Amino acid sequence: MTVNKSGKKVFEKELEDYRDQVWGCARCNWCQNQWGWSVKSAEFSEICPAFHEYRFFPYSGMGKMHIARALIEGDFDYADAPELAEFIYTCTTCGACEMNCQRMQDKEPLKVNEALRARFVRDGVGPMPEHKNLINSVKSYDNPWMQPRTQRDRWAKKLPVKDIGKEPAETLFFVGCTTALDASMSQVARDTASILLKAGVDLGTLGKKELCCGSPIARVGDRETFIELALRNRELLNNTGVKEIVTSCPGCYRAVKHDYPEVPGAAALNFKVYHTVEYIDRLIADGKLTLSREIPLKATWHDPCHLGRHCGIYDAPRNILKAIPGITFVEKERNRDQSWCCGGGGGARTAFLDFAQRTAEKLIDEARRTTGAEAIVTCCPFCEQNIGDVLQRTGDGMKLYNLIALVSQSIA
Amino acid sequence: MAAEQKQKVTQKKLAPHVYQALEDVVGKRWISEKRSLVETYSKLSIEGMTFVRKHRKDDTAVPACVVLPGTTGEVQSIVKVCNRYSVPFIPFTNGQVFSATTNDQPTLIIHLSRMNSIINIDTDNMVATLQAYVDYAQLQAEAMKHGLWNGGTPLATTVCKLSSQFSFAGLWQTDLKYGLLNRNLVSVKMVLPDGKILTVGSRCLPKAGDFWEYGPGPDLLGMQRGGAGSNGIVTEITVKLHPWAGDTTLPEVPHGRPSLEDVHEPKYDSPPPPANHRLHWIEFKDFSSQIKTMRDISHSGIAIGLNATGVYSAYYCSQTQEMTWERCKNKFFPDYNCYVIIAGITSAKQIDYEEKVLQKIVERNGGTFLTADHKPEVLEALKPWNLDCIRHTCGFRMNRKMYANAWLPTGPFEVGRQTQEFWSDALNAFGECDITDRGGADDTPFLYALQRGRFSFAEVDNYPDPTNPEEIQKAAGYGIYGMARLVKEKVCPCLMAFLSVEPFTTMFPEVGPNQHTLFQKIRRVFDPKGVNAPGRQVYTREEWENVPPMLKQWVNKMREMVGLESVQ
Repeated sequence: MTVNKSGKKVFEKELEDYRDQVWGCARCNWCQNQWGWSVKSAEFSEICPAFHEYRFFPYSGMGKMHIARALIEGDFDYADAPELAEFIYTCTTCGACEMNCQRMQDKEPLKVNEALRARFVRDGVGPMPEHKNLINSVKSYDNPWMQPRTQRDRWAKKLPVKDIGKEPAETLFFVGCTTALDASMSQVARDTASILLKAGVDLGTLGKKELCCGSPIARVGDRETFIELALRNRELLNNTGVKEIVTSCPGCYRAVKHDYPEVPGAAALNFKVYHTVEYIDRLIADGKLTLSREIPLKATWHDPCHLGRHCGIYDAPRNILKAIPGITFVEKERNRDQSWCCGGGGGARTAFLDFAQRTAEKLIDEARRTTGAEAIVTCCPFCEQNIGDVLQRTGDGMKLYNLIALVSQSIA
Repeated sequence: MAAEQKQKVTQKKLAPHVYQALEDVVGKRWISEKRSLVETYSKLSIEGMTFVRKHRKDDTAVPACVVLPGTTGEVQSIVKVCNRYSVPFIPFTNGQVFSATTNDQPTLIIHLSRMNSIINIDTDNMVATLQAYVDYAQLQAEAMKHGLWNGGTPLATTVCKLSSQFSFAGLWQTDLKYGLLNRNLVSVKMVLPDGKILTVGSRCLPKAGDFWEYGPGPDLLGMQRGGAGSNGIVTEITVKLHPWAGDTTLPEVPHGRPSLEDVHEPKYDSPPPPANHRLHWIEFKDFSSQIKTMRDISHSGIAIGLNATGVYSAYYCSQTQEMTWERCKNKFFPDYNCYVIIAGITSAKQIDYEEKVLQKIVERNGGTFLTADHKPEVLEALKPWNLDCIRHTCGFRMNRKMYANAWLPTGPFEVGRQTQEFWSDALNAFGECDITDRGGADDTPFLYALQRGRFSFAEVDNYPDPTNPEEIQKAAGYGIYGMARLVKEKVCPCLMAFLSVEPFTTMFPEVGPNQHTLFQKIRRVFDPKGVNAPGRQVYTREEWENVPPMLKQWVNKMREMVGLESVQ
């Protein structure tokens, strides 16, 4: 009756493998609420974006456990409940439910929901229609944005970054689809490469050969496509001969570092995986980067779920922000493991844009009211897109920065 | 889909005109009868019988519809619709502990999740008024900003709603000083089962304000509290606040916050106590010296909380199920122990003084403090209690399997000894479901000192495999045996309302005696159509006739086992 004891890897577990967990849900409601010790106000005490929005239990982690139980036992089927996909896919996979449920009861409502999604895809009732374009794009173009492969290294024009297929390098910059291909994000790629080169890192990229990490595919439940991608990526990355990989996107980071080892039948990774913020934090600590240019700004940090709650990188971005002269760092009320999701993950933004944006509005509201900050800083392209769209649409005066951009500005 | 091979459970539905009438009250967005949605309101947490019903594919366990009112007025309108069309309804917050269960008629769930605002904190008069879905963590967080707090959180975690705990009178971990929730009520606003609104306490007089729970006239508040939710839906609750000695927020754990990759590391569960609070752990050589010390501490007037956790700390303070089992097996935590919460409410000198008194009491009774020199590893492992004593989070860690039921006998401190004896007999009679069931039998039961030790609360629980209906029934057997034994031995069997929930209300007529006949009269007054949480506190004759004979036989078997006559 404990988690992770079946001997199976996450991506080979069926919904039935969670049977004991879903029967044992105690309805304690921690999946909807902040960990009790962390609650600082009534208004910001909840943590599940979907339950906060819709108020019915099926939108919560607990609700998923009960739905999973009923499906496992055959109490109803898809024909009886055509609404199921909405409940399953409004989850942003932020992992807050899993964090608190594991801490309370050693159970895994997020993994249960991901197993539900995998079953939906297997049975042809998932993912949401909007997700299918994304999956087809990955299958056709190796990226979810329907961009030709030839565009993937366009961001690197005139930068002295090695093409790892042509010459060896110690460190691989795994750029990620959104950062590489979205014109509004590609400056992050350029800044990242420039910063690392300036610090003397022997840096290369996969150029046009870089593939989607598969994270968006995994999150919406298409295991077959994800496993295929993961196996291709692992072979590709293992063959580069690099010692370390630096990823720009928290989704890529989580996928390469934590999801790939959960894929059955693949070789171990022969390199270390870092996110850019932890890598840059280390460069600063080692004296290889100096942040000296002042940026007068009162700023708060938004923890991207895949970087913070999923992977535990909380301190590195805060260290960097505090190291930038002129920045006054202020902490949002909900932070780190109890951070409020921006709403952009898990396919929620793709299929339920209104919900995703209302979730981001709540984040911006919290940032303003609990910190008085003039800027939100983050480092995830999905968070940036979702929060940025809301700020643009509402004409909100709150500023939004990628941390890499601030580091780049502050380097002398 | 493999599940298609299995027997489905059909949902009963409300008549379309009833659904429409309800939708007219709350709007389309806040009502649903979708099959998968109602499912999530169908299996309760520690209500073993709903698990058995689910395993049996019993369609009476599935509600017909769920509605989410946003105001007292909407609750009232919903209840009136239910009365007009004779639709049974069940008020619902978390559904964690003893929510009423559905029956064979299409049943409406009134989920109060939209009513989640703190209406007012009156710092001058030290009271707070809350909507029904506000939980302890929310209230504490807001009250602490004003140098106040509500006086405690329940064992069943801070996400428990005060309006729900009202139904069971409410246990806290700082009952030593502040008393149960039922001693901290000032007023409630309820929608009665017939749709009338009842406001009790001084606020029922226009402009009188919230200062007195009893007046004027007969104590209608007392009649409602502990009523197992049978006499109406609480939509607002006003509670007392007390001076808070700590900071405006609780302290952070020095080792930082966990991620999903390392959430089970014990270091994340090691917070310091709140500012101006200290927690002391004491172990004893036997149960007698533990009880004697607890009585002396209670009577001395020091401390705000005093509780013995025994082996329960293995569940509360372990980060994985394996660790729990290991610690139970190896008796990592002392068999006989208690912890004392000292708060410097008036000044720091208060802490020094109370610690001196505590030292003398412990010394006199032969207890030993857990310190950096004496069992430091145990003291370290107990650190989750440092904040749990104020804002309880870990209680349901015990619930990794299934928390089937509990005995909660109350009485003088000696009730702990009786609990230990009877529980051992139950386990020996039926056999344990899990190694953790022995907690409270071989060792100290949970024992909380209430209201300066005038009475105490003992607890033992059991944890069957939720996927195994036979185990669940066996575990339910302990519970019924326990109630029968406690009644037979004339020990008060319930802190909250355990013997005020059917079928036990009627099947234990020794309580009262014949309390069920009084409850039947009350129900007829408040719920003439029998629609509110039907049969929760007491059955009508008609409902009683519909109780499965097997259940009656089962309870009677337990009665006979302990030497009570069968109830016909």
